[in-house]
Amino acid sequence: MEKTHLFRADQLASGYDDKIILKNINLEIPSNKISVIIGSNGCGKSTLLKTLAKLIKPSSGDVTLDGKAISKIPPKKLAQILGVLPQSPIVPEGITVSDLIGRGRFPHQSLFSGWSKKDYEAVAEAMEIMNVTEFADLDIDELSGGQRQRVWIAMALAQQTDILFLDEPTTFLDITYQVEILDLLTDLNRKHGTTIVMVLHDINLSARYGDYIFAIKNGRLVSEGAPQEVITDSLIHEIFGMKCVVIDDPVSHTPLVVPSGRYHSHNNAD
Amino acid sequence: MNRFPVFGKKSDFHLPKNFKTTLVLLILLLIVSIIVSLLFGARAINMQELIDGLFYPGRDSHGANIVRKRVSRTIFALFCGAALGVAGALMQAVTRNPLADPSILGVNTGASLFVVFGIAFLNITSADQYIWLALFGAGITAIFVFGIGSLGRGGATPIKLVLAGAATSAALSSLVTAIMIPSTYAMDQFRFWQIGSVGSGTWDSIITFIPFLAIGLLIAFITAPALNALALGDEVASSLGVHPSFLRFCAAFGGVLLCGAATALAGPIGFIGLLATHLMRLILGPDLRFVIPMSALAGAIILTISDVVGRLVGSPGELEVGVVTAFIGAPILIFLAKKSKVRSL
Repeated sequence: MEKTHLFRADQLASGYDDKIILKNINLEIPSNKISVIIGSNGCGKSTLLKTLAKLIKPSSGDVTLDGKAISKIPPKKLAQILGVLPQSPIVPEGITVSDLIGRGRFPHQSLFSGWSKKDYEAVAEAMEIMNVTEFADLDIDELSGGQRQRVWIAMALAQQTDILFLDEPTTFLDITYQVEILDLLTDLNRKHGTTIVMVLHDINLSARYGDYIFAIKNGRLVSEGAPQEVITDSLIHEIFGMKCVVIDDPVSHTPLVVPSGRYHSHNNAD
Repeated sequence: MNRFPVFGKKSDFHLPKNFKTTLVLLILLLIVSIIVSLLFGARAINMQELIDGLFYPGRDSHGANIVRKRVSRTIFALFCGAALGVAGALMQAVTRNPLADPSILGVNTGASLFVVFGIAFLNITSADQYIWLALFGAGITAIFVFGIGSLGRGGATPIKLVLAGAATSAALSSLVTAIMIPSTYAMDQFRFWQIGSVGSGTWDSIITFIPFLAIGLLIAFITAPALNALALGDEVASSLGVHPSFLRFCAAFGGVLLCGAATALAGPIGFIGLLATHLMRLILGPDLRFVIPMSALAGAIILTISDVVGRLVGSPGELEVGVVTAFIGAPILIFLAKKSKVRSL
C-alpha cells in the first residue's frame, strides 16, 4: 500500500520553555490504523501529539517520517503527508464553511496555480465524508458545536494527507456527536487507509475506536498495544489513580472501564 | 457521489459572493473620485480647461496649469491611499487584531521620531530626505517591536506584538516631544509634516514612492494565501506548512514599506488602513486574497475623496487630508463597531 508510512519517535523529550514534560519516548505509529493516546490531565498527551506533529520543537531526540527527520522535511511537503487538527483553532468571523475547508488546500497550491479542479474535488470529497456538504454556503457561526467540529475535520481532510493527527476532536460535544465523529473518522480509516492518531479523553470510546493505544503517565509511555492488552484494571489504576472494574463492552466487545468511587460500590461491601 | 454544488453559481467559493458587484462599483467610484479630484478645489475648473490641461501640454492657461498640478496630486493621493489600505490589511493579519493599523507596531511613531530628529539636528527639509529617515525609523521600530514581541515562548504571537508595539509607541512619542519642545523651528517644520497632506504630491514624490509601493504590493500579493492559513491560528497554519513567525516578519516588512513610504511623503494619515479593510471585510468576508487588493482600491478612493472634501471645506485654503480622514473615519468606525459587525480575525 503506497499510503503506508513509517512514523517513529526516538529518545524523544519535549516541553515548554525549560519545563520538560515528555521524557524518553520511543514509539512507532502503526500505519493505516487508528491510534489513541490516553492519560490523565496534564500527563503530556497533547504535548506528545504536538511534538510528533512538529508544532513543538523537541528538546532532544528525533521524530522521523519514513526515515527522515520531520524538521528536515520542507514544511509544505510535510503538510501534504501529515495533517493536524489542534484543539482550539481560530474561526475568522464571517467565514463560510466552504472557505474554511478550502483553506486546507494551501499545501497543494503554489503562488500562481490558483484553484485547480483537484482542489475543488478534494474540498467536495472532504465535505462529503464529513457530511457537511449542505452547509457549504453557511457562516460557521450558524452551526452547532458538532457540525462545526465536522467542518474543522473536513478542513484537515481537504489537505488529503495519509496521516491525520487530532487533538481531542470530541471534547465539549454531546455523546451523540462524539460517536458520530468517531464513526466518520473510522470510515475515513477503513475506506482510505488514513493513519489516524488522536488524543481522547474518554477511555471507553478510546478502547472501542482505537486499534492501538498509547498510555502516558507523567510524560512517559507506560504501555502500548491493542486495547484488550493495555486497558486493564491495574493499568487504569496506575495511570488515573482510580480503582475500577474492566468488563466486556456488550456492544463492541472491547474493554469497558467501570469506575468505582467511594460510594455506590456494592463490591466493596461484600 | 459528487453532490457538492461548487461548480454551479451558488457557491463558487473561489470568489466571494459580492466580489464582482463590488469590483464594478469600486472601479466606478475610482473614476468618479479621479474626476472630482481634477475638477474641484479652491478654484473650480471648466471642461475646456480640463481638456487643455490633460491633453494639450502646449496650451498655457491658469486653469490648465491647475489641472496639471491636480493630476500629480491625484495620482499621489491614489497611491498613498492604496498603500495605506494594504498596509492596514497586512498589519491586521499579522497581529490577528482587527483594530491594528500601521501605528500598532509603532511604525508611524518610529517614522515621526526619525523625521523630527532630522529636522532638529540634521537640517533636513525636503521630502526625498524625509522618506529615507522615515522609512529607516519605521523599519528600525518594526524590527525592535518584532524582536521584543518574539521573546519567550511561542515566538511573535499577536498579543505580544500588540503590547510591544503599544509600549514602544508610547516611549517613542515622548522622545518626539522631548526633541521638539526646545526647538521652535523643529516644532514648526514638524507640525507641517505631522498633519498628513497630499497637497505636496509632486511627480518627484510619486517617482520616489513607486518602488516602495510596487515591492510592498508584491509582498502582500505573495503572502495573502499564507495569511489566510495564519488566520486559523498558528497551529493550524503550521500544520498547513506555513512558518508563522517568518510569515509575520515578511508581511510586516511589506506593511512597513507601504505605510513608512506613505507616511514619509505625506505625513501620518490615519484611519485609511482601518476603514478600507473593514469595509471590504464586511462586504467580501475574510478571504485576504480578495480583501487585500480590494482594500487597495478602497483606500485609494477614500483618500482621494477625503482630499477633495478637504479642498472644498477649507476653501479658499484647504484642510489637510489627515484631518478629513480622521473626521470621516472616526464616526464611521464607531458606527461599524456599534453594529458589532467589525469582523474580527
